[in-house]
Amino acid sequence: MIQLSYLDYVAVERKSFLHRLSPKLKIIGMVFVLLGIVTLRNLPGLIFLYATLLALFFMARIPIKIFSLTFYPLIFAILFIFISGFQAHFIFFIFFKVLCGSTGVILLLATTPYPSIFSVLGKVLPSSFVTALFLTYRSIFILLKIFEETQHALYLRGGFQWKHPWRSLINISNAFGHLIIKGIDASEKMYESMVLRGFKNKIFYREE
Amino acid sequence: MRLWEGNMSHIHLPDGVLPVWLWVSGFIVAILVEAILFRFIRKEELARRLPLLGMMGAAMVLGAAVEIVPIAYHVNLTVISGILLGPSLIFLATFVVNVILALFGHGGITVIGLNTLTLSIEGVLGYFLFRFLRRVMKRLTLATFLATFIALFFSTFAMLGVISLGTSHYEKLIHQKGEGIFEFHLAEGKHDDREGEAKESGVNLRRFIAIVLPLGFIGWVLEGAITALIARYIHRLRPDLLH
Repeated sequence: MIQLSYLDYVAVERKSFLHRLSPKLKIIGMVFVLLGIVTLRNLPGLIFLYATLLALFFMARIPIKIFSLTFYPLIFAILFIFISGFQAHFIFFIFFKVLCGSTGVILLLATTPYPSIFSVLGKVLPSSFVTALFLTYRSIFILLKIFEETQHALYLRGGFQWKHPWRSLINISNAFGHLIIKGIDASEKMYESMVLRGFKNKIFYREE
Repeated sequence: MRLWEGNMSHIHLPDGVLPVWLWVSGFIVAILVEAILFRFIRKEELARRLPLLGMMGAAMVLGAAVEIVPIAYHVNLTVISGILLGPSLIFLATFVVNVILALFGHGGITVIGLNTLTLSIEGVLGYFLFRFLRRVMKRLTLATFLATFIALFFSTFAMLGVISLGTSHYEKLIHQKGEGIFEFHLAEGKHDDREGEAKESGVNLRRFIAIVLPLGFIGWVLEGAITALIARYIHRLRPDLLH
């Protein structure tokens, strides 16, 4: 999540063929990747899909730093393996499904600026839903800045300490409380600015 | 342990693991519930509160992304968001949060509908429990703790219910061997052994529940304590927000 702004920077600044491709086509491509993940029943098929996505990833010259993000969802797949009774075939099968999904999504986000993605989604999904999605995504950047400042202040003043777990828990909760109050204040200012710019239930994007 | 890094009521399943009928039903029910809840809120009211919804959604996403280091746990802040947003808006907020979380690998994209249903149980139930318990007990922190604990208890069981609905599908996935590039038929002739193995290797929901429930219990207590402390902090600085 911390790399969100970097991901957005890569999507805007890089100029590979995948960056220049229409966002609509890339979203359709992502739908096909998902379709493949859901319908493929054999390991070679999934490996082929993953290899294709990897090839696209490196052809789009996306920094290696971002590639590590594609492995993050494997953490959650581990819990599901306990259901299977540790079957090797099943474990590989699940892992490749996870890797195909995460690589596809990161590929889309690293090659398409988020307003373009929301602009395409706005044509097929209800406007209030897409507006909520856009505002939430936008708000993450605002809150992340506040949260990082609060986190630094707490670390510097010994806010988190192993030997004082209860005090640490209170400080963590206060940090979240602070984040929520600041978020509410920022949302009020955001609404005023939106009204000033003519907002009426829908946000219009640059391409519209 | 990294497994712990996650809230137990959120289905961290990848795409293609749950049966199609289950996740499609999840989407249909989530959309229907959303459509019904939208009838209870005026258009102007929705437009006015969308930035707040966005901020609370962002706080929930950040809560899920930030690991609390000494205890390696992440909060999801759904109950406090439910208390501040109300039952109609918290459903939309959890829908949006699940879309964003799915984009960053916290559960698959196809599981968004089911995740919205299980997670919004926390928000909606938490809101009503908080209102009721606060009126009965007159104590903010205890009412918030209990509302969060009970809401998480129900949403975790909803998540287990969803997982158990796909049991026959997981069995199919586990036993579809032989088509891969890796060979797993080394003990082809030993039929007796394979039968025993098949029993052992079947879907082990009990093992899964045995892992989830104790971790879940610790999670309910932690989330309950953190939510109660957040409510106390907000009450101290902006008491108007909790009325």
